[in-house]
Amino acid sequence: MKPVWFLLFALFCLSVSYAGSKKHDAFVEDNDFAEFEEFEDEEDGVVNDESDDDVQEPVKQPVENEEMQEFDDEQEEEEDEDPLSDDEFEHLHDEEEFENFDREKDTPKGKSPDKLPDLQMAKVPLHLRTSWDSFYLEMLMIAGLTVYFLNFLAGKNKNCKLATAWLSAHKELLETQFSIVGDDGVAKEVTSGVLMKESENVYTLWCSGRTCVEGMLVELKLLKRQDLINLLLRIFKPASDQVIVKVDLDDGKMDNFVFCVAQKRSAAKLHKDMNDLSQFTERKSSEKFDMPVSYQLLSEVGEATSAVLDKKVCQMLTKHEGVIEYIHISDQFSGPKVQEDTQPTKMPDTKACLMFCFTIPGKGKTRASDMEDLKPLLQLVFYCVDKVSRLQLSREARMKAEKNRQKAEEMFLKAAHTQRQELAQQRREERKRAEKERLMAEEDPDRARKLEDRENRRESKKKQPKMKMMKIKAM
Amino acid sequence: MQQPNANDPKRANKIVRYKAQPAGGPGDDPTPDYMNLLGMIFSMCGLMMKLKWCAWVAVYCSFISFANSRTTDDTKQMLSSFMLSISAVVMSYLQNPQPMQPPW
Repeated sequence: MKPVWFLLFALFCLSVSYAGSKKHDAFVEDNDFAEFEEFEDEEDGVVNDESDDDVQEPVKQPVENEEMQEFDDEQEEEEDEDPLSDDEFEHLHDEEEFENFDREKDTPKGKSPDKLPDLQMAKVPLHLRTSWDSFYLEMLMIAGLTVYFLNFLAGKNKNCKLATAWLSAHKELLETQFSIVGDDGVAKEVTSGVLMKESENVYTLWCSGRTCVEGMLVELKLLKRQDLINLLLRIFKPASDQVIVKVDLDDGKMDNFVFCVAQKRSAAKLHKDMNDLSQFTERKSSEKFDMPVSYQLLSEVGEATSAVLDKKVCQMLTKHEGVIEYIHISDQFSGPKVQEDTQPTKMPDTKACLMFCFTIPGKGKTRASDMEDLKPLLQLVFYCVDKVSRLQLSREARMKAEKNRQKAEEMFLKAAHTQRQELAQQRREERKRAEKERLMAEEDPDRARKLEDRENRRESKKKQPKMKMMKIKAM
Repeated sequence: MQQPNANDPKRANKIVRYKAQPAGGPGDDPTPDYMNLLGMIFSMCGLMMKLKWCAWVAVYCSFISFANSRTTDDTKQMLSSFMLSISAVVMSYLQNPQPMQPPW
């Protein structure tokens, strides 16, 4: 009888284990996470052992579990009384641990309520649950970079188009005035038609080969359309494309005077920053000239101003009021003031030149076709160049200009001289200090005494020579 | 304002070659240099302190510096700044593959 019972029991176990294998994965999984669950201290070791057991005998436990589920009602109290099995398989008693569990959940809860651990959601590390959605900030960054790059390409192309449009609109006029239009200075042979690119928004053109003129540099200072940040800034502070023309005159072709007519917004800055304007010119009223009130006059010699601001120029100023930013004519042009701590020992090199700045209308929304409208302005440039080279001031005006220049030079030399004196004084004081320090640092008293004597002798010698020389003279 | 045809202003014998302006000067725009420096600083911060957002800002700074650069500028410097910022981004993600957390 007993072996039969045993065989039946074994068969029963096998069938149950097959049914239980479906729940095996969940069970094993739960046990995997069971490692991360916090148990009471006394059970920690037990849990670890149990996990090892799980790996080795996965079948045994579900069988035991099923067994307990089946015979729970009858063996309730027995299991309670058995402390070892309780400790080991306590978590198995908790019905909520298992999925697809059919039995009533009332009975197990009544078993040992104080020993049931709280159900905790296992904390799954972030990198185990990656989905592209969680990288939305990175996507945003990459999208931003793509937008910036696309804007870069678009802005670069637009600027290039505007520059070539300007060149094609003005090339004919330039070729009537200059022998070469567009030299880059790089090639051995003189090249022509080269528009140099200084950066993605600055293009320059060098023209040469004309009477009275050494050369003309046209700088197309376009807006930074290739930079998205600049684009956004321009929403708050609108700006425009500019064309700056600088004509270098031959030496001696221009009488001495400095003159500037500029829009009020630029006049103050130019008067402060430019060397020649700050040294030689004064603000003058433009009432007697027929030109818009938005312009400020900076003039040195009144006669020259009247000669330059003739009817034609005033007409152009009136017609293209918003376009002509400034006209700066000077024989002493040396660029803006350099912010240096020390006074330069030599006066800066000056050059006779005319500078014209034109603002392209449209507040940045320039089209290639707008370049055609700038042709009359270039004609104004040539008109002014010819006028200035032919201009001859009266004797008084020339004397006045000469006096101004002499005064400026004297002031410069004085400032430089005082600077040099100060430097020499500083050096002398430093040397004395070094000597004194050496004396103090000298430990050997004899050597210290010797040095002191030497110092005293040197100082007395310095005071003596004058008297000596006088003595010789008297003799 | 037109020149009379008899007096052609062109003088072929008076041609003066173009002399490139010496680089640097008060009128020069300092943006590319500042952005280059800023990019390098952010890259180093991102690499050493493992801050992802620093690395991304460095990439942006390099890009802005490149967009504003002059043709006379050294391309090697630009490229090295770019490479440094990209390496900062890659290293931050290799060390810590988690996505960036927004500050809010």
